[in-house]
Amino acid sequence: MNRIIFLCSILAITVVSLSCKKGKEEKEVPSDNPHGNLAIKFHYAFAQTPGDFKLHQEVVHPQTGDTITFTNFKFYISNFKLKKADGTWWVHPESYYLADISDGDNSVFTIKDVPAGSYTAMEYVMGVDSTANVTGAQTGALSMAHGMFWDWLSGYIMVKAEGKSPQSVTKFFSFHLGGFAGEDNIVTVKQTNFNGQELKIADKQTAQISMRVNLATLWHDAPPLKDASAIHAPGPLAKKFATGFYQHGIDFSSID
Amino acid sequence: MKLLPANFGILVIVACSLLLVIIGCKEQNSAPIQPTPFTLEVPSHFPNPIYQTERNPFTREGFLLGKKIFHDTRLSRTQTISCASCHRQLHAFADGNQSVSTGIEGKTGKRNAPAIFNMAWNPYFMWDGGVNHIEVMPLAPLLNDTEMGETVVSILQKLRSDTSYVRMFNDAFHRDTIDDQQFFYALAQYMSHIISADSRYDQYIRKEIDFSASEQRGLLLFRQYCASCHTEPLFTDYSLRNNGLYLVYPDSGHYRVSRKPGDIGKFKVPTLRNIAVTDPYMHDGSIASLEDVIAHYTQNIKPHPNLDSLLKQGGKIGFSLTQDEKDDLMNFLLTLTDSNLLKNPVF
Repeated sequence: MNRIIFLCSILAITVVSLSCKKGKEEKEVPSDNPHGNLAIKFHYAFAQTPGDFKLHQEVVHPQTGDTITFTNFKFYISNFKLKKADGTWWVHPESYYLADISDGDNSVFTIKDVPAGSYTAMEYVMGVDSTANVTGAQTGALSMAHGMFWDWLSGYIMVKAEGKSPQSVTKFFSFHLGGFAGEDNIVTVKQTNFNGQELKIADKQTAQISMRVNLATLWHDAPPLKDASAIHAPGPLAKKFATGFYQHGIDFSSID
Repeated sequence: MKLLPANFGILVIVACSLLLVIIGCKEQNSAPIQPTPFTLEVPSHFPNPIYQTERNPFTREGFLLGKKIFHDTRLSRTQTISCASCHRQLHAFADGNQSVSTGIEGKTGKRNAPAIFNMAWNPYFMWDGGVNHIEVMPLAPLLNDTEMGETVVSILQKLRSDTSYVRMFNDAFHRDTIDDQQFFYALAQYMSHIISADSRYDQYIRKEIDFSASEQRGLLLFRQYCASCHTEPLFTDYSLRNNGLYLVYPDSGHYRVSRKPGDIGKFKVPTLRNIAVTDPYMHDGSIASLEDVIAHYTQNIKPHPNLDSLLKQGGKIGFSLTQDEKDDLMNFLLTLTDSNLLKNPVF
């Protein structure tokens, strides 16, 4: 009888540990397919000014001639997709990143669990898609704690550019750019083919690409600071600044 | 041993194993105590609510957390003003007797604090229609410098350093840290549960009571003159309209949101539920009494270019009512007070 109880206990403990472990393991590993990460690094520039552009650095705009010093610059980039060699797209879920120039070398968005393979193009969205603007309280990059959501007119501030300029009537400028509906919509889908190169994602490795962010393009098609130094709502002026930046101010630069 | 059946040992082993597996797994996988579901009770004569709560399942713990947040003055920058300071239960969660409310440091706002109930049925929020979701609605008063003047980051710091909040957030949401999504979820749960559906009007509709002859006449007058905008059973159609309060609007209303000239002076049609206890009236609290509101619609409407077409029918601005009709209409409006809401300790 003692032997039976002893055997029973050993067997039971084994069964318990085996059966319980199995359930846990299944939860932790999402799939057996090889996958790696893609880091997207943002390098900031101001027109042809040499070196990495930083906050509190005084520059002169080549077009408007305005003297400009940025004290804050953030923008949303979202909805990353990667085009596989076979032409199908891999879609990154919950793909929202708030880029901040003050992060300097750490201005990096890492996309995790990308299926290993070769990719020929990347699609992304400048701004925050309309669904995320009407969904209510969210987390991560879309948290209200970042100060990037208008309290009086629901919607994300998709680009926040603030600073000083002697040409501004107030000596300051503050552009809060947003708008996700109708003619105020600034959300822009962009694509890069990596300049004809292939992006390779290897199992358990992190690949990196660099993107160039040129703040001078805010004024690509927008009035100089003596005429416009504050925008705090969606509208035609917000669209001018945003379009200049979205169309001309952000581009793929290299696979690192 | 020989007296026992040959397979007795195996039977014992199997039985013990099964028992231990069940106990062992249960203990090892024991989840934290789940919050108690607390679903919205939709009144039988109401439509389905607008607020979809799949992302934010309502629980008793979430409601109680929202209640604590709503009443906590420490959340304002000066730790002096809570949501409940200007949204008082006794006035159906409006700021009774104040045309505009007083926020931090004695500052006053520009608009009359709206009543808070039946919020889950609102397709949008604020007098000018600027806010699109119940979860982001509290952001405006929390951040506004004349109301609570605080930042989300600072509010989160206050909550995270308070052990009772840490425990309540954990009970309600089971997350590692307190974030603003949980904060807004809890407030949305609390506000959604403030339902007003037990006025004498509701009891009449449910055939539990009879109206007096005057109240019945008042209901018919209401349906004739008022109900196209103040639609039953919520007593608003949630449209934005210009009701001719001014010829020149100091506050441009929905124009601020849409920038369309045709929206100057348009404001959200407020519910008339509990109207007797939410004085003063209009977006700026400029009309003191219900008698004066009826006087506005019968003789004081200004011919603003954006004046709503329903207020200028047959080439005439406003309605014509005899004094008896005004009295009947008033008696009906008084049936919209939900006295249970005003004193229910659950809130």
